[in-house]
Amino acid sequence: MTAICPIVFATIKEFIRRKDFYVLLILFCVLLTISSMQNFFQIENVSRYVRDVGYSLTVFFSFLIAVTVSAGQLPREIENKTVYPLLAKPISRRMVVFSKFCASAAVSVLSFLLFFIAFLAFDVMKTGGLNPLLFAQAAIFGTLFLCMVCAFVIFLSTFMTFAANITVSILTYLFITGFSDSLRDFSIYTKGAAAICSEIVYYLIPHFDFFNIRIRLTHEWGTLPLWVIASVGAYTVTYSFFLLYFAGVIFGRKKL
Amino acid sequence: MEQILSVKNLSYTYKAGRVNVKALDDLDLEICRGEIFGFIGPNGAGKTTTIKLILNILPLQNGKIKISGEDSSKPKTRLKVGYMPESAVYSRYLTPKELLYMYGRIFGIRKSLLKQRISELLALVDLEKEGSRLIGTFSKGMMQKVSFAQSLINEPSVLILDEPTSGLDPVLRKKMRETILNLRDAGKTIFFSSHELSEVELISDKIGILNKGRLLATGPTKSFMGKKEEGLSLENYFLNLIKEKQ
Ligand SMILES: Nc1ncnc2c1ncn2[C@@H]1O[C@H](COP(=O)(O)OP(=O)(O)O)[C@@H](O)[C@H]1O
Ligand SMILES: [Mg+2]
Repeated sequence: MTAICPIVFATIKEFIRRKDFYVLLILFCVLLTISSMQNFFQIENVSRYVRDVGYSLTVFFSFLIAVTVSAGQLPREIENKTVYPLLAKPISRRMVVFSKFCASAAVSVLSFLLFFIAFLAFDVMKTGGLNPLLFAQAAIFGTLFLCMVCAFVIFLSTFMTFAANITVSILTYLFITGFSDSLRDFSIYTKGAAAICSEIVYYLIPHFDFFNIRIRLTHEWGTLPLWVIASVGAYTVTYSFFLLYFAGVIFGRKKL
Repeated sequence: MEQILSVKNLSYTYKAGRVNVKALDDLDLEICRGEIFGFIGPNGAGKTTTIKLILNILPLQNGKIKISGEDSSKPKTRLKVGYMPESAVYSRYLTPKELLYMYGRIFGIRKSLLKQRISELLALVDLEKEGSRLIGTFSKGMMQKVSFAQSLINEPSVLILDEPTSGLDPVLRKKMRETILNLRDAGKTIFFSSHELSEVELISDKIGILNKGRLLATGPTKSFMGKKEEGLSLENYFLNLIKEKQ
């Protein structure tokens, strides 16, 4: 366990010194500014619109950071051969995988929080008020979402190249956020093998859609009950645990 | 003398697609405390493979490896082992200080002790001024120095160096040899590989000659020097030996 903190801190330092994040943050602010100017274009209820776009951008941008940061962790260590001095330390391969997960999750959540603060600032300016508890819940969901994304991408990175991993992760995310409801409907309204198959697929896929509270936030539907948050939290921990367990097994057997 | 590193019946075969590459064939090595062991062999002889097996980076297929009498597969046995890899490119966005700090913390070294050790190590490899510069701006020689410093962060009793002088200029080579000798005099055991005979000859107490995964000869450096007096330089001896066994 002693390895986790040093690896996390080193990764955060590297992340701060690379310029990727600043570029995304500037782009993020530009997009938010543009979207908040939509009242020029006579859209009704612009505050709701700003919130909708702002939250989606916050989630998507931190998702991109989570994917690019996690996908590079293990492959870069192998490519630069720094994995050898690392493995020569008193640390098991599983612990290397877990530390890399913690590092990616820390970096992703950190950038999510920064995006989120920028988003909040815009939101307060445009709408003049918000439900703090609802926004706190949105932050918790964002954090859980990013942990799950990091676990998923780290898992893929034990057998995929950087580029393939990013492509697969983004496509998976788009597919699941776009079609998981249709998959559910399909399994309900069909019968036989097709129904069973789609049912199984529905329960196996990483449900990135569970974390999406954009509509609730946009329409201020009120806060979620505690049990919902607890269930989503338990789901995240369980799913990530299995992903990281298999990642550890695959990386443990890898010939380096 | 007390044995600190022992390798018995070590064989290793890489499976690269459908072809099998036999990298090591029934290798035996014995390294005693406080000696410098020079592991020589041409490129592709199996030196790096041996080192990776000793460090448990590759899984054992055959044979036994013991470090200070303990099985090398346990992470714990690596607490007192230092390792400098062949050609690692350390993170360009960290400084040597930060890198050494990270590795030191992985070993569980206390923060106050670690700070002091880092400045000692940076002084040892002549990187005091560059300690807070990003590694991305370093030359190859400086990268090697970082790599060497990194291998000493846990005050290892066994130091394993894979081609430590490759790619260094003559001045740095000499410095590296002196440092290795000083470390030996401070009681450390050093196992280093090289394909350059002159290097090995100059500092090793004991030599092992490896070719195509087989140990052709091993013994105190002096015993090879004897052959030198017969007009046979270590280089010629080495070349003859390799030719003979083919
Ligand atoms: N990952 C690998 N896959 C297949 N063959 C390998 C691999 N690594 C090394 N080899 C082969 O094993 C032999 C020994 O390699 P190595 O231990 O790196 O030699 P050395 O360090 O002495 O130059 C070589 O023939 C090399 O081609
Ligand atoms: Mg080698």
